[in-house]
Amino acid sequence: MMALTRRTFVTTVGAGAAAAVGGRILSGGRVIGPWTRSFEEALYAAQAGRPLLLHNNENPLGPGDKAIAAMRAKLTEKGIPTARYSSIEPQLTAALAAKYNCKTANIMVGCGSTQILRTATFAFTSPSRPLVAGTPTYEECSDVARLIGAPVRAVPGTSTLHHDLDAMAAAAKGAGLIFYDNPSNPAATLHPATASIAFIEKVMRESPDTTILVDEAYHDYVTDPGHKTLIPVALDNPRVVVARTFSKAYGMAGLRIGYAVGHADTIRKMNDLAYGGALNVLGLAAAIESIQDEARLQTEARRNTEARQFTIDWFKKAGCTPTDSQCNFIFVNVNRPAREFRDACRKHDVIVGRDFPPFEKTHARISIGTLDEMKRAVQVFGQVLAVKSSAAA
Amino acid sequence: MGSLRTGVLVPTAASLSARGHEAWVGEHGFYDQAQSPGGRARDAVRLNSNENPLGPSAAALRAIEQAFAYSGRYPMNAKPSMVDFRALVARRNGLKTENVSLGAGSGEILDNAVRAFTSASRGLVAAAPTFESPARVARRLGSPVTEIPVDGAGRLDLEKMIAASTGAGLVFVCNPNNPTATVHPAAAITDLVVRIRKASPDTVILIDEAYHDYVVDPSYATAIPLVSQHQNVIIARTLSKLHGMAGMRLGYAVGDAKVIGRMTPWTMPYNANAPVVAAAVASIQDDAQIARERARNTEALNYTTEFFRSAGMKTTDSQANFIWVDLNRPAGEFREKCQQQGMLVGRPFPPLNKTHCRISIGTMEEMRRAVTVFRSALGLTTTSAAAKGR
Repeated sequence: MMALTRRTFVTTVGAGAAAAVGGRILSGGRVIGPWTRSFEEALYAAQAGRPLLLHNNENPLGPGDKAIAAMRAKLTEKGIPTARYSSIEPQLTAALAAKYNCKTANIMVGCGSTQILRTATFAFTSPSRPLVAGTPTYEECSDVARLIGAPVRAVPGTSTLHHDLDAMAAAAKGAGLIFYDNPSNPAATLHPATASIAFIEKVMRESPDTTILVDEAYHDYVTDPGHKTLIPVALDNPRVVVARTFSKAYGMAGLRIGYAVGHADTIRKMNDLAYGGALNVLGLAAAIESIQDEARLQTEARRNTEARQFTIDWFKKAGCTPTDSQCNFIFVNVNRPAREFRDACRKHDVIVGRDFPPFEKTHARISIGTLDEMKRAVQVFGQVLAVKSSAAA
Repeated sequence: MGSLRTGVLVPTAASLSARGHEAWVGEHGFYDQAQSPGGRARDAVRLNSNENPLGPSAAALRAIEQAFAYSGRYPMNAKPSMVDFRALVARRNGLKTENVSLGAGSGEILDNAVRAFTSASRGLVAAAPTFESPARVARRLGSPVTEIPVDGAGRLDLEKMIAASTGAGLVFVCNPNNPTATVHPAAAITDLVVRIRKASPDTVILIDEAYHDYVVDPSYATAIPLVSQHQNVIIARTLSKLHGMAGMRLGYAVGDAKVIGRMTPWTMPYNANAPVVAAAVASIQDDAQIARERARNTEALNYTTEFFRSAGMKTTDSQANFIWVDLNRPAGEFREKCQQQGMLVGRPFPPLNKTHCRISIGTMEEMRRAVTVFRSALGLTTTSAAAKGR
């Protein structure tokens, strides 16, 4: 900790000194840049001396260099965009519309996909229009439904911890909204596009007034060849809307940008209810740049796949069974309460995921860091799991 | 500092669309800047959204750049984290972390307070004109809105607001008031709180102190100390004004832990991005910078006020980074003429849009240019106005 603090301080002074000779002078005497080190160096300095954070499904490498450059450029841009309400949000909306070959009316941007999930729940559930969600799942929609008095129909998953789509469709009769995270969180499992489409058709037949929110937060990490995004379905069908985020493969969890793609009528209903001032100009600039940077996205996906496979293989050898992860985390049966596993890992400076009832007595969610980080992490996991077995013996 | 103030002062609005606490109203309300003719906003001077023309301080800019390293981490895992900032605000006010919550701009706090505390049976009380967002959200949710006109000096009519508050869900008190720029003394706000609490203990009082840092009137003080003695009082603050971070989206709410706890479920989790949290930590404890920035604003404010008064037009006693001026003519006409000359001024504020205009205070250099434009837009002859203006 001390080392990190000192190093940060040195950097601050260094940046100021460099600026005095080569930096840019902004209005009001503000001086900034030139940047004294690469983003990668800054990243490692920021993480030095910290526990390994494998609990929030973050991208350990952050945004790509081009996104960082776009943010830096905003700090020195004429007009000082950091100080202005005037936003570049329409530029992101336009870039996303171009990416998905749709109109800007088909796009809603949000303060992370969190805002998308919350807004959809406000828009489509009520005390008389329940929410349907798998269990375990990401709780944002359920939390909002309870807040506004909408009943929550929680549908247990299958034995392989896939969402039980038949049961969810059956539960959807009369519901306002189905929250369908695919791949799922925390179970990390995926339904192929054919299964998802059959599920949607069934819901449309049996409960035509129900909206289906498809959360594709982990889309970019999927390796299953049966996977396809449901965005084209959402563009055609006012009862389907897809949520995406820049927090995962794009490495921007700290910058708070997400979006929804759907039919213009559905998007309008959501936009009408959303707080509209939540997006920051640096995150927007990074997002606009990131979606053009396909190469970086692919590099990141490959990096995750390798580190994920390494981790899955290690657990299998250790006799613990993970689900078939299509994400940047695994959900693994550690044969003991998640809390016990988590507390033991924490003592070794590795932080793993929280409890996910009703699996908190057996399963832990572990996010995938870099391969080097996972090599360190499995040593800790080995000690923790071995300690338990020797104590039991 | 003067010699360094050589940077470019003409903003380029990369987009004509506007978002945020201030400008969100412009986009979603009744006046859309994006529809303004000719797209001249691109090179215009923005005296329309009460922004700080100089942006974040040098220390804040350095903090932002350092926080880029946490871009990939959720804001609670960044350094500093959301809770670090809440703890800092609490410490500076002698409170606990649980007394402070954050918003993606104070606009989110205002929005959430209306959602949490008003209903069809428990309405909102607000001034007219005041910052429009709470009344707009209340109407959209079907909560009744009682609007109390400001007095002849543009001041909130506190007596009538107190009287109207009994049984209300929420009272919105903007102090200093936007757009009229006037402030009420600490004693008057304390009196309002004590009397509403006594007559209507379930009513929540939301005091928006967005312009707090600009106030020079010695009778004013923040209402934050009231929260340790009174439940149901929330003070909203923003980093968008003096701290120059309107594009970065951060505000905070201070209140009794119980009332903050009632608002929290309506708040987006992780709503504060990592760079703005870092910038805010650097900025709110930089008392010297705050004082410099306040002095800079006061100088440009006085210059602008003097121009209008010498031209025979009344302005209210502004305690903010904007003025509220009685032009004796429809603001729309004046606004269009200014815009044609690259100078954007405030949106309409009914019911006073037929006479009054809100003009934000830019840098002194911008205000000198603005005054030339205002002279022309008002049809004042250059020589006489100039003679009067000095």
